[in-house]
Amino acid sequence: MHHAYLDKFAYQDSPVHRLDSRVKFISLVVFTIAVLSLPRTSVSILACYAIGPFAVLAVGGIPLRFALKQIMLVSPFIAVLALSCPLYDKTAASAYFGPCAFEISQGWLRCFAILGKFVVTMLALIALVSTTPFSDLLVGLQKLGTPKLLVIQLGLLYRYIFVLIDKVQHMLRARASRKLRNLGYRQELRIASSMVGSILVRSIDTAENINIAMQGRGFDGKWRSLNKLQMHSTDWLFAAIVCCFLLILEFFIKPILI
Amino acid sequence: MHMANELLSVPVAAGTLGIAAGALGIICKKAKEYITSDKLALMGILGAFIFAAQMVNFQLPGMPGTSGHLVGAVLLAIILGPHLAAIVMSSIVIVQCLIFQDGGLLALGCNIINMALVPSYLGYGIYKTITIGKISRRRLYFGGLLACIISIEAGATLVPIQAFISGVLVVPLKTFLLTMVGVHLLVGIIEGLITVAVLGYLQQVRPDIVSEKLSGKVRLSKKAVLITLGAFTIITAGGLSLVASGFPDGLEWSYAQRPDQPDFKPVISNEDPRITAVDEFQSKYTPMPDYSGRDSKMGKPAKPVGTAGWTSFAGVVGSILTMCLIWLLAKLLRKNKKIHTQ
Amino acid sequence: MPSAIEIKDFSYNYPDGTNALSEITLNIEHGEKVALIGPNGAGKSTLLLAIGGFLQGQGRVLIDGFEVKKQNLKKIRRIIGCCFEDPDDQLFMPTLFDDVAFGPLNMCLEQKEVEKRVIETLNFVGLAEMSHKPPHHLSAGQKRAASIATILAMNPKIMTFDEPDSSLDGRHRNNLIRLLQGLNQTLVIATCNTNFAAVIAQRVVLIDNGKKIADGKSQEILLDSDLMLEHGLEVISKNLI
Repeated sequence: MHHAYLDKFAYQDSPVHRLDSRVKFISLVVFTIAVLSLPRTSVSILACYAIGPFAVLAVGGIPLRFALKQIMLVSPFIAVLALSCPLYDKTAASAYFGPCAFEISQGWLRCFAILGKFVVTMLALIALVSTTPFSDLLVGLQKLGTPKLLVIQLGLLYRYIFVLIDKVQHMLRARASRKLRNLGYRQELRIASSMVGSILVRSIDTAENINIAMQGRGFDGKWRSLNKLQMHSTDWLFAAIVCCFLLILEFFIKPILI
Repeated sequence: MHMANELLSVPVAAGTLGIAAGALGIICKKAKEYITSDKLALMGILGAFIFAAQMVNFQLPGMPGTSGHLVGAVLLAIILGPHLAAIVMSSIVIVQCLIFQDGGLLALGCNIINMALVPSYLGYGIYKTITIGKISRRRLYFGGLLACIISIEAGATLVPIQAFISGVLVVPLKTFLLTMVGVHLLVGIIEGLITVAVLGYLQQVRPDIVSEKLSGKVRLSKKAVLITLGAFTIITAGGLSLVASGFPDGLEWSYAQRPDQPDFKPVISNEDPRITAVDEFQSKYTPMPDYSGRDSKMGKPAKPVGTAGWTSFAGVVGSILTMCLIWLLAKLLRKNKKIHTQ
Repeated sequence: MPSAIEIKDFSYNYPDGTNALSEITLNIEHGEKVALIGPNGAGKSTLLLAIGGFLQGQGRVLIDGFEVKKQNLKKIRRIIGCCFEDPDDQLFMPTLFDDVAFGPLNMCLEQKEVEKRVIETLNFVGLAEMSHKPPHHLSAGQKRAASIATILAMNPKIMTFDEPDSSLDGRHRNNLIRLLQGLNQTLVIATCNTNFAAVIAQRVVLIDNGKKIADGKSQEILLDSDLMLEHGLEVISKNLI
């Protein structure tokens, strides 16, 4: 099913999956800032930074192919904008790689830098999301200061996206099973719009039922939740590893490569 | 229309994140003063509905290779009020970023401002201004339409501005702005029509939901409602759309790898090919004094190789080797674990 | 000692004016297991909503002696727990554990007590290993058990169920029956499946067109084939009872 595809990796078990979501999230933010602040002239250093998310994905058992496919899916917008750089920046520059040296416009360097950074930061984001159950992520975000109302909304949204997708798929299946011939553009449109209207009204009815269920379980306006998070030694270890990784890159590798 | 991290500089990302976080913090605090469980449930469900609606993109008529998708902020603002709408839209943007990786983590600030805060408040403000006092069918139509167009355009114009301030891209601001504004005009019109149709439908079926007390006299003709809802459906068929934007374009090489279930697509998929063609033509025939690319094409020797080339090489190869090692180790660890647990 | 549920001449109209329930009078004592049967649209769900304190109509509804009105709602919610037809409407939290904890947390219990109750309840319904899964990873039968768990964790004295056996296959229906038979609470179960009613309840109340038609022992009512057919219900075989 569609939604199984979306978060199937998040509920697996691995050392990374068991890490505290706050540690993973903060590591992601710091890592992304570090990558983003890299100057646009060196592309090879991105390969070094890529080790980080790659390691998380590898230990977490997330197939690299899945991660790369996700990245491809969301790249059109930035790919196009990155490719616009060579069109507008024609300043000459030299690029060296191994035994080769070649003349290239700065625009192309910018383009590769943007795309490279994009891939690396996306890998990191996927590493976080596919090794953390969404509910854990929400608790982590709340502990990090996200407003409670927003966290509640995120939880409800996540939960009911799947319900809605299911309902829509049922409807489409029902329509497909009753469709014997092409009814013509107008009639199809009419049927389709009734479906959408129906989904909307049913969704609103669902909202009312949820409301009744909430009240039935004593909801009085105050949202209470369990305090579930606790830092363990493995979490501190991970934080330390991330720090070391970034510091080594910053003070030892960067001066060489840039 | 989703901003990526890489189009922003760190200061701009930090700044926008700060603004977005601050605004959301204030809104959430204010909203808590009057939130009830029925509103909470409605926020969650409508969020899911809009989310599903945003998932399907549609081919824009008359603009080859470009596609757009709905925002839905104005509809939410009219039903829930601007504060709750801003929260719901923000949650949608956040889920898109985290679960679908549509929009970068550090670009969340920009995306929340462009797609949640601005459209909710601006759209609501415009709608209220037009429909204040006597509500009539014409005012409802006009108000909804204008609110959608302007709020979407506002959000669209912010993207080039944010990119320009960051200085990462070199596209001239004017070109970028014009393209975004042009494309989103159409998107805004379509969104406006759909919003009004949905409002009309709700008015007839569930008038209690809309927070605005529209009088019972406002009735959109059933045909108009159905036709525009139909347009909505072309967009929202839950993942198996009647007309999904599968048209690849020269620059949209990744469309070929899309799975059966469509996933998010950003609003603007490419610039109008006509613009890029003109630019290419221009650049070819403008003399560029330092452009040594042409020289090397004509056979002149390249610059001597320095150590820079080898360090880069070492950096990349070393990284790849490290990654292979890590992968092997991880695989061994997992095999070991399996043996132990069996 | 007051009855578990006492309904006196209760009537209710929908917002658009249609009559849903008409002068229902019903008394259910503590410990009884009552099946509310009737065809679709008879008003069973509406009656359950009224019992749960979600509707304001004409007449009186008393739960364990407390009249259903705003001041008493907090008390009533602790006494009676309602399980609705669609489990998706009741499982609204990101994980099963959170859903089952929602009720006890709203009762202002200590965190440790809440966790203890959740684990006990999940063990009772057989969903302990699924506790950290999100609801959409559960099957229909598991969701049904989960929705029952969300109410059970609050230790109510009275529980109502609206068509709990709908869309369940044989195995899950048997699980459900076993679960319901293992409960000590007063149960009111609405169903249009007379076979299910026969197994679950000793007392049956027949509702149709918003009115109470019959009220008595399962054997008397369910085996009255004329009555069953007249109100659009299946006739059961004698050896079920």
